[in-house]
Amino acid sequence: MNPKSLSNSERVALIQKQRKRTQYQDAVLSVVGILGFLIFWQVITVTGIVESRYLSTPVQIASLFITKLTSPNPDGAVIGVNILSSLTIALSGFGLAIVIGIPLGLVMGWYKGFDSFMRPLFEIIRPIPPVSWIPLTIVWLGIGLTAKAIIVFFAAFVPCLINSYTGIRQTSEVLKNVAKTCGASNFTIFWKIGIPSSMTLTFAGIKVAIGNAWATLVAAEMLAASSGLGYMILMGRQFGRVDLVILGIVVIGVIGTIITMLIGMLENKVLGWKKL
Amino acid sequence: MINNKTAGMSAAERKAFYLSRLYMILPIISVSLLILLWTTVARNSEFPSPKDTFDRLILLFQKPIKGLNIFGHVWASLVRVFAALTFNWTFGIAFGILIGWNKKCKVLFTPLFNAFRAIPPLAWIPLITIWMGTGELSKILIVIFGSLASIVVNTQAGMSNVEQLYLDVGTIFNANARQKLFQIAIPSALDAIFAGVRTSTSAAWMVVLAAEMLGAKSGVGFLITRGMDSIDMPLVLMSMIAIGIVGALLSIITQFAERLMCPWTRKRSD
Repeated sequence: MNPKSLSNSERVALIQKQRKRTQYQDAVLSVVGILGFLIFWQVITVTGIVESRYLSTPVQIASLFITKLTSPNPDGAVIGVNILSSLTIALSGFGLAIVIGIPLGLVMGWYKGFDSFMRPLFEIIRPIPPVSWIPLTIVWLGIGLTAKAIIVFFAAFVPCLINSYTGIRQTSEVLKNVAKTCGASNFTIFWKIGIPSSMTLTFAGIKVAIGNAWATLVAAEMLAASSGLGYMILMGRQFGRVDLVILGIVVIGVIGTIITMLIGMLENKVLGWKKL
Repeated sequence: MINNKTAGMSAAERKAFYLSRLYMILPIISVSLLILLWTTVARNSEFPSPKDTFDRLILLFQKPIKGLNIFGHVWASLVRVFAALTFNWTFGIAFGILIGWNKKCKVLFTPLFNAFRAIPPLAWIPLITIWMGTGELSKILIVIFGSLASIVVNTQAGMSNVEQLYLDVGTIFNANARQKLFQIAIPSALDAIFAGVRTSTSAAWMVVLAAEMLGAKSGVGFLITRGMDSIDMPLVLMSMIAIGIVGALLSIITQFAERLMCPWTRKRSD
């Protein structure tokens, strides 16, 4: 059965070759998945199985994107302006959530007294979905940047807080006791041990938060805005421009992915020491 | 009296005892501070006081909006959520198992699925209303889109993280592929699947609200927009509180169901 026994280096080469082949196959398959979907989409729209009133072709969307780069019609702003205005809102709300949520979660997780004071308040606010704050914030703050940023803040705040809270609570008792034995004060332990060891979960929370922020932004812009990607989508619907709606959806998806990737890179940089 | 309780304790024990008492009182203080803040703000501005909000609830029972009182509206929203969730739990879990178990399916579908997942659920709303109007079906579809991703992701993660040891044991005992899937992999992924069930429920509750706010004739989201349009702030606040309570109840129920279905996760979640 066995024609010849392989030497070690031959075996390694064989395995590497097999692995390369599977990698190649996988890459081909994922490209096939995406391309297949695009072709399917193009075919059903071009042949008229789905009316063009309901769905435009991928090619049309791409050409609309190029037109929208320079032309403000029909929603009143070129796509760059829309993207910029959406990003400003999302990032200011998200930044606020990080600046407030993470320290609050860390302190709540570390100091018991503060926890028992804040926790009920947080538990009251938590189950209310961010979208339902929209009417109140409109009444309080109008429909400007602040109002929308606050709505985004509500969406991003909860995961930031929960994750940093859980993260710091999972600090290893051994590490804490070592520090205590060496005479560190409670605050020093919190600063030097609690915070660094909570960072893995905190970053997971930040990732969830940016996703939430970006998703809620669309709702905020649909209910009250005069520019932005959510507004562009809504205008597309009102003018019956299906291509504009789909373009908006695609751009929102792509930007969301890019932001997630950036955060992943930041995480690798900050938490590089954790990965073995 | 109190001294009797603490009499036999050392100084450190006494300190711990008083601290634990303090921790029990602090939540009550914070909540009463919140209510105090609410009433003072209400007295000095247009903002509705707790009493206004409660009166609005009573008024809603006496004069229902669109023929439904608050329970009717909550029920209308819940029906949409459940219709969508039933679909998601069957197809989402099935799809998650497929891409978590079969490597080829995973590489074929994952990029596509990720592309769809990157799109916020609410962004679908205009497209879906172009496709199917603003009827009941379109709202259910929006909720389906909004809560499908979390269940698929969790199921897939659970299925691809099955302990290799269990599968190897199965191989040793001559289990065929089907037995390995149904008797080893799926039961061991059950806790991950249930985490997905929980997140998808809360996501669905959030999305149904947004869907209703953008055009509906019943449901709690509709109540909020109705309050906003007629500048009826007590109504808005009351609906928010109702939404919060129902959302909290939903998460308690799913948590309870999880404990019932997979009791071994209890230790880990604490």
